[in-house]
Amino acid sequence: MERIKSGITGLDEMLNGGFLPYSANLVEGAPGTGKSTLGMQFIYNGITRFDQPGLILTFEEFPHQYYSDGESFGWDLRSLEKAGKLRVIMTSPEVSQASLAQVDSHIQSVIAEIGAARILVDSLSHFDRLSEDPVARRGLLYGFINSLRREGLTSLLTRESPALFGEIEGPEEDVAFVADSYLLLRYVEIESSIRKALLVLKLRGSDHAKDIRQFEIMHAGIEVQSKFEGREGIMSGSPRRMADSFVEAFVKR
Amino acid sequence: MSNSDPEAYQEWNPFPRRSSPPGGGADLAARLMDDMDPEVLDFLKTTVNSFVKWDLVIFFSENPNTTDTAVNLARYIGRDVGTINTELDDLVEAGVLVQYQAGDLKIYSLTTHPLMRERIKHFVEASVDRQFRVKAIYHLIRGMR
Repeated sequence: MERIKSGITGLDEMLNGGFLPYSANLVEGAPGTGKSTLGMQFIYNGITRFDQPGLILTFEEFPHQYYSDGESFGWDLRSLEKAGKLRVIMTSPEVSQASLAQVDSHIQSVIAEIGAARILVDSLSHFDRLSEDPVARRGLLYGFINSLRREGLTSLLTRESPALFGEIEGPEEDVAFVADSYLLLRYVEIESSIRKALLVLKLRGSDHAKDIRQFEIMHAGIEVQSKFEGREGIMSGSPRRMADSFVEAFVKR
Repeated sequence: MSNSDPEAYQEWNPFPRRSSPPGGGADLAARLMDDMDPEVLDFLKTTVNSFVKWDLVIFFSENPNTTDTAVNLARYIGRDVGTINTELDDLVEAGVLVQYQAGDLKIYSLTTHPLMRERIKHFVEASVDRQFRVKAIYHLIRGMR
């Protein structure tokens, strides 16, 4: 099956070739883990390497933040906008949801104008303020995600995780249920230094890597590296050496 | 710098020295605008005739793909929604913004009309100049009286 490649070193291999076409892909992580960078890289690579124009829908950051962040990786987003390959739209969840529910709305005309194939929605966390009722919120998200599919977009949806380390808590599973794939970015403390981990928790309709990989934000963007060898409890944020666990489980008894 | 030295005052004072007695405000305003680009002056007089409209025009110029409600736009420019409602509608009437309805939401975007985009660009470029801003602010304050 054809895949929508992220072009991010190591990630497409984890995704068994890339994201599925027209799929909604959730990237969740704590502040600073690299969700927006991963999203921008997905859009930038789409335009420059795969000739797939893209849209960035921002609910919080001003567009100049993306231009400036992009510049630090050598991605000239302004030029791509001028060339009609990219649009950075500043809006709100209620407007994007209502616009996409209509026919010929502003957002739809932008999608058609540039022939967008990819979209970054940054971030879905802002949908939380639309309704306190989890059932209603899930309905809104479901409608929104389906409207992106209907428009022929492969989407990358970011969501903030409140916890810096360890397991997330709270009623956050609604989006993960609706999304086609679910990527988790985590901080991990190893020998007094902070590293970053990436895990593909779910990829609907496809096999995917099950191991937890290290990644770094390098000068040209994100690079997914090798898996964490010889450690367990990575997603807890404080992994232990496997040997320590063995000792704890069998020797110390 | 001492304010008692009239020549020194003239150096930093953005407004030319009065040649008419106090009260000749209309003359002063006219003289201040004399060296302004007529197109920009017209845009200032007819379209960006308040500080809130100025903020909105600058905001949309910097973020031309914004599409949002008055409540959120007010948040983006750090104003009160009650303050910007009328101003947004004036800018729609002037052709700077377009307004459309999505469900219950009244949404504003920057016009895509090339001539208006050019006028906005011209105004924003002019407002980078401090002297222009000082004169324009004086003009707006006079208009508020």
